[in-house]
Amino acid sequence: MGEFKVHRVRFFDYMPTAIRAMAFNAHTERLALGRMDGSVEIFNFADHYFQEKVIPGKDSRSIEALCWVGGRLFSAGLNGEITEYDLENLRPKYSLEAYGGPIWTITSNSQGAHLAIGCEDGTVKLFEVLEESIQFERNLDRQKGRIISLSWHPSGTQIAAGMMDMIRVFDAVSMLTTVLLVDRGFGGSKSRETVVWSVVFLSDCTIISGDSAGKVQVWDGHTGTLVKTHLVTKWDVLALSVSKDESSVVVGTSEGTVIQFQFIAPTLQQQQDKEWVRTRTFKNHTHDVRALAEIETAIVSGGMDTQLVVRPLLEKFDERSHASALRKIQFPHRNLVFCAKKAGLLLFQFPGQLELWRLGESDGHGKPGDSLPLKRKPEKLLHLKRKGEDHICCSALSSCGGWLAYSTMSSVRLYRLQTDNNDISITKVPKLPKILRSAHQLCFSSDSSKLFAASSQSSVLVIALSQSECKYVHTLKPKSGSRQPIHLMTNSVDGKWLATANSDCEIHVYNVQKLKLHCIVPVYGSCPSAMGIHPTTNNLTMVHADQQIFEYSIVEKQYTDWSRKLQKQGLHNLWLDRDTPVTHVTFNPKNPEQILLHDMHMFCIIDQSLPLPDQKTQFYNQMTLRSLSEQERPSHLHAFKICKTFQDLLSVSLLDDQSLVMVERPLLAITSQLPAPVRQKKFAT
Amino acid sequence: MHKMLVEKEVQPHRRSGLMTYRPKMAKKLLRKSPSSSNKFNSANMTDDFQLHLDSSDDDAPEEVTFEESKASALRSMKNALETSKREKDLLKEKRRKRQELFQEQKKRRLLPAHILEEIDTAPAKKQKLPGDQAESNHEEASCSWEEGREGSKEGYEKETKKGFKGNIRSLKGNYSVMRVADQSSTNSQQQTAMDFIQARLYGPGSQRTTNNELLSLENKRGPNKSAAMQFVNKKWGTEKKAKAEKLKKQWIQKQKVPSS
Repeated sequence: MGEFKVHRVRFFDYMPTAIRAMAFNAHTERLALGRMDGSVEIFNFADHYFQEKVIPGKDSRSIEALCWVGGRLFSAGLNGEITEYDLENLRPKYSLEAYGGPIWTITSNSQGAHLAIGCEDGTVKLFEVLEESIQFERNLDRQKGRIISLSWHPSGTQIAAGMMDMIRVFDAVSMLTTVLLVDRGFGGSKSRETVVWSVVFLSDCTIISGDSAGKVQVWDGHTGTLVKTHLVTKWDVLALSVSKDESSVVVGTSEGTVIQFQFIAPTLQQQQDKEWVRTRTFKNHTHDVRALAEIETAIVSGGMDTQLVVRPLLEKFDERSHASALRKIQFPHRNLVFCAKKAGLLLFQFPGQLELWRLGESDGHGKPGDSLPLKRKPEKLLHLKRKGEDHICCSALSSCGGWLAYSTMSSVRLYRLQTDNNDISITKVPKLPKILRSAHQLCFSSDSSKLFAASSQSSVLVIALSQSECKYVHTLKPKSGSRQPIHLMTNSVDGKWLATANSDCEIHVYNVQKLKLHCIVPVYGSCPSAMGIHPTTNNLTMVHADQQIFEYSIVEKQYTDWSRKLQKQGLHNLWLDRDTPVTHVTFNPKNPEQILLHDMHMFCIIDQSLPLPDQKTQFYNQMTLRSLSEQERPSHLHAFKICKTFQDLLSVSLLDDQSLVMVERPLLAITSQLPAPVRQKKFAT
Repeated sequence: MHKMLVEKEVQPHRRSGLMTYRPKMAKKLLRKSPSSSNKFNSANMTDDFQLHLDSSDDDAPEEVTFEESKASALRSMKNALETSKREKDLLKEKRRKRQELFQEQKKRRLLPAHILEEIDTAPAKKQKLPGDQAESNHEEASCSWEEGREGSKEGYEKETKKGFKGNIRSLKGNYSVMRVADQSSTNSQQQTAMDFIQARLYGPGSQRTTNNELLSLENKRGPNKSAAMQFVNKKWGTEKKAKAEKLKKQWIQKQKVPSS
């Protein structure tokens, strides 16, 4: 099959941001995730937890809470503003200053007509949700402490507010407030006020609260009395979430544990009153859990360790399957590393800057598995800081290494690079076409003569590049009139074809020379996670979020024979059971039958000339093949050659000189830079 | 001091509510008090004492009815209120007079009304420092008008000089000029909120440890027991290790030098 020299790159200091808030929309089955740097991510839970959309953050924006009202997403943060997001254009629609100081929480009532926010100055402000905006309605009585958490009663007439040392229940009908006093913790924490971090109001007027003393308390909302206290942890209880049928409440703590309480009868005797009983404890995080959501069949948690963990509840599944396994989403489902294949340069995209590195060189030869000595070390050529407050949304590097572009929500910048031996000079291309305001994806053509920018409503702007200036040529528009943004874009090596994929799972192929739509690939139910166009045959290879692989011939406008064969045979179970999506598809110019793919945990070469594996063949057979003799091997070969030597892969590319570049980011390195976890005393350590 | 004495004598009188008898000693003290009591504004009180003093020492103590004492108490309270009111009024008067004086002085400084109107209608230019700039603009305008004026009063001449000086004057008080962009965008309330949450989660009393310890514990308790993170992972804490190396070398050097 081949021997490759591998550039093993570990100098990409990719650092994800901690998760601060999440909100699940049961109608559309989307989870909105708010991170500490102000970015919002939308995950499609109906499509294998694929990260559909990413709205980049901003320096001045802070997110403390998120909430859905119908299909609209609102967030509120410590900068005192309520922001509504435009999910079709991936930007905030507008920001409304609430004039209450920093906002700690935002929640909507079950009818979706009002939004309540809890402010630092002690007011609960009510906003009316209108067609295109929100409008301030009134303030509830101003309190002396800050309002940390809020919860509406399902009827919409009462609001429970968690504050310092107490919970207040506001009644809209009688205009009275009931005060529930939360007592402080034991020992040393008596001197500090107890912060009621989260509160939940159930329809039978039970209030469940989690506070900083580590207690989960169940209150009777009618009488204002405490029913039960559960001391759950020594540290804070940071997040609470109730299931839709109100039979289960999950609680997240600073230790990283998620504890479930269920409303059941404590013993098996009949006619026993139901009460809230602590049932399960999950420890899936190493650091504080700050955001929780209980959806129908799973518990979703996220926190300071930046991982999104989906823990399916096993009693909701009939059998153990792929759907009932624990899922951890650690890396983004899009590319952050771009490789200039001809020049041997790597571009790393950070939210705040771009880094351009030149790969090292090695002369040595060795056996497979050896580490070759470096003749020249990899060096950082360029560190380009972004201008302005908006974080970098996407970037691109041309394959010759001469052009560099990046886009934020407010601007696009294009740079010309010149490398003379060891010097590198960068010049900004000054006047970009006015139509190029921001782009969701950027892509250079392989001869670096054109820049493709994905713009609003799934359209693509074609910009012609010349020596040091650029000109707008044309806008390629899809026929379907979809308003969703493009998240994948790829073009062919001969410069003739451009393929785009949007969040509606539509894939369009455009003829770049004629500047018009060529064909639309039949829509498949799952969103494509990676695409690539073969250099010689111009077949479009697509890998979807549910791990299905398709190959479509652009010239013939139909699926290829190999693709039909694969679909008929079906993919191997172990391939379909993988839990991270494929993020990059690339090809080997020297061997046209090979397709190179990778996901976070494996690197795979699909050889189209070899037979496809059926369910009974051993899937991960590389080790076995090595132990077999030369005569025995051909009978055991199959098309999927998987290598698991390299872990935590962010990107795999093949340079023109036939060497592979594997960019790894060990999870241990990420953990070492996280904020401090709690100190837990373990026996015998 | 005297006031206190007098009131003490009156109080037991009121408290009992019945007819009471005052001790003889008190009478002597009372004799001394007339001189000091004249200092009081309560004329009625002195009248009271005069009445008492008129009677001879050998007589039986006076019968003072409850209504009388009540009346005298009410009178004294009314007097006190009146005095405080009078004092307030006096203060008000003083303040009013002062205000009027200032107004007059200001009027004298200002220009005649028609010139002011003309200045007001002219478009306002850059408003960087609203207070100061407006003032200096105003004064600048006044200066330019002054030059054309005939028969300027002394006050105005003084004004022009002040005006010119004012254009080049330094900012009084604690002002400093800086760009909005240079300041961080978080205002103080936001900063307080961020500090609050930082202090609650990571501040004192939060019992936190390091990631190193977390991972080292995992190493020690895991199925394959191994050493702490900083020893297992060569790249962990490289700065600390480099520093330790340097210190070690320095110590060795120190050890060598005295011996050699």
